[in-house]
Amino acid sequence: MKKNVILSSVAVAMLLFSGCSTNKPTVDETSKTTAQTVVTPALESSSINSNSNSGATVASDASAAENAANNAASNSGSTAEDIAKNMTSVYFDFDKFDIREDMKANVTNDVNVAKAAAAAYSVKLEGNCDEWGSDEYNMALGLKRAQAVKTGLISEGVDAARISMVSLGKSAPVCTDKTKECWSKNRRVDFKLLP
Amino acid sequence: MRILLNLFFFIALAFGADGSIEVVKKVDTLPSLAIEDGTTAYDDSLKKSFFKTLVSDVNVLSFFNVDHHPYSTQFDNTSVVLENKDKEYVIRYKIFEDSDKTFNVSMKILQKSVLVKTKNYKIKNKNLYVFVAHAMAYDLNEYMGGEPVEWMKRKVLISRLVSSGQSEIVVCDYTLTFSQRIVKGGINLFPRWANNEQTKFYYTSLNGRRPLLKEVEIATGKTSDILSSDGMMICSDVSADGKKLLVTMAPEGQPDIYLYDVAVKKSTRLTTFQGIDVNGQFMSNNRVAFISNRLGYPNLFSLTIGSNAVQQLVFSGKSNSSCSAFNDNVVYKARESSDVFEANTFNLHLISTQNGSVRRLTANGVNEFPRFSREGDAVLYVQESSQQSSIGVIRLKFNKNFLFPLIYGKIQSIDW
Repeated sequence: MKKNVILSSVAVAMLLFSGCSTNKPTVDETSKTTAQTVVTPALESSSINSNSNSGATVASDASAAENAANNAASNSGSTAEDIAKNMTSVYFDFDKFDIREDMKANVTNDVNVAKAAAAAYSVKLEGNCDEWGSDEYNMALGLKRAQAVKTGLISEGVDAARISMVSLGKSAPVCTDKTKECWSKNRRVDFKLLP
Repeated sequence: MRILLNLFFFIALAFGADGSIEVVKKVDTLPSLAIEDGTTAYDDSLKKSFFKTLVSDVNVLSFFNVDHHPYSTQFDNTSVVLENKDKEYVIRYKIFEDSDKTFNVSMKILQKSVLVKTKNYKIKNKNLYVFVAHAMAYDLNEYMGGEPVEWMKRKVLISRLVSSGQSEIVVCDYTLTFSQRIVKGGINLFPRWANNEQTKFYYTSLNGRRPLLKEVEIATGKTSDILSSDGMMICSDVSADGKKLLVTMAPEGQPDIYLYDVAVKKSTRLTTFQGIDVNGQFMSNNRVAFISNRLGYPNLFSLTIGSNAVQQLVFSGKSNSSCSAFNDNVVYKARESSDVFEANTFNLHLISTQNGSVRRLTANGVNEFPRFSREGDAVLYVQESSQQSSIGVIRLKFNKNFLFPLIYGKIQSIDW
């Protein structure tokens, strides 16, 4: 019996140790090649190079709609941006997208602005997240927050057709400190007014 | 006898199951390699950068114990420098310029001081020199009979957050040594190569009334609008032939996964769950891996196109929130702590959907946004620290990770 146990132990130890051995990379010592070649066409293509520091960079249509809204409103004395300042951001808990009790007054205030001073504008809801994650799920979380606010606006009488949504994820933080207070400021929905 | 028996058990327990012992032994037994520079042209900064890139590349190959010292020599010397006489391998190169200002590199591979391979490289734009270093490492790998490392020569797209409300699309190499901004202004996210040739890509523009998926031809900078949706519009994955896209859209406020036919310009909804379905990834056999919160928390699921059945792929963890798939394998990100107020740990795991085996690929920190290479042999990912973002490369076969830091900004997403 003892002998069997010893033999088994030896076998186990040998198996485990054999896993530690390494093979050297296979090297064909006989091959000796000479090649005249160029770098792959993808590298050689002028796609990146010819455009460097010039027109290749695509300038985006950033905030064109917001600018148009402000231009249109400037004739009436107060810009869309001014009116939007009267709308209060709605803040959310970590990993949540339901509207907290203490945020319901904010939504009511936003409804009042949307139905009065901002009645001539469309309302764009921008959902935001804290810095934990830049993946699609986090973007979806920002969207669900915007959707919760949209539902709140509609339930208090704002026309759904006036409301659009976008999730910005963690792309537009108002605070970049590494504190819980800072992160809580970024879990929010902001308002923009569009013509 | 009992002492002998106990000794065997002790050895088996103490060493046998410890993977780190294997790693140490491998380092000891890896063949040594040194790099000799025979360049007389060009300034020191370019020469240093080229050398450093080549050293990184050869390290990533994982075949060699690489000497990081930059040895200088005459390119045509018949013998290696004195310090390298005992090295198993020496790579010697010379950078030079043609009369038409073309960037040239000549490379020699010497094994035990004997010339075994030479190769010349030529590229018109000197700014792309890092890709020459990558090509040299690629050829060295091929000479050594290693698994193909096509990804080493591919360009990487990143979305870089530079300030609040400003993120740009940058094309770079996998070490981030080369980078060039392609799209700037406003918020531009989730770039995805549109074809295997890397001549065009998709990205999400959040600068209009609604999120918009755009296509950019790199050579000309020409952009086209592809799709838009209220709420979300992200190209999650491009099929190998570039003909189909998996996109996340939310036309009614519900983020769902759609299959978009590029030629027909038609999208088909694949998920209908009234929660979050995002991050669709093509798998083998007409399957799609994706992230859903249908169990109340983000987790990894799969579906077969044309069927309503959904299968749960991962049965551990309470927050598995992003993924990348290659055939039957899926890499996913798992949150491994859930502290609301402190830094959390996110690690990457690899699951085989054939046998359900799970392997952890990262050890600590915030690791996210995994992307399989086109051949499935490596995973590119983003590692976040409090100070900076880095691109990480995991070589699955070698079980090794390599990090390359971004100089400024934070990486939002990547593709290669």
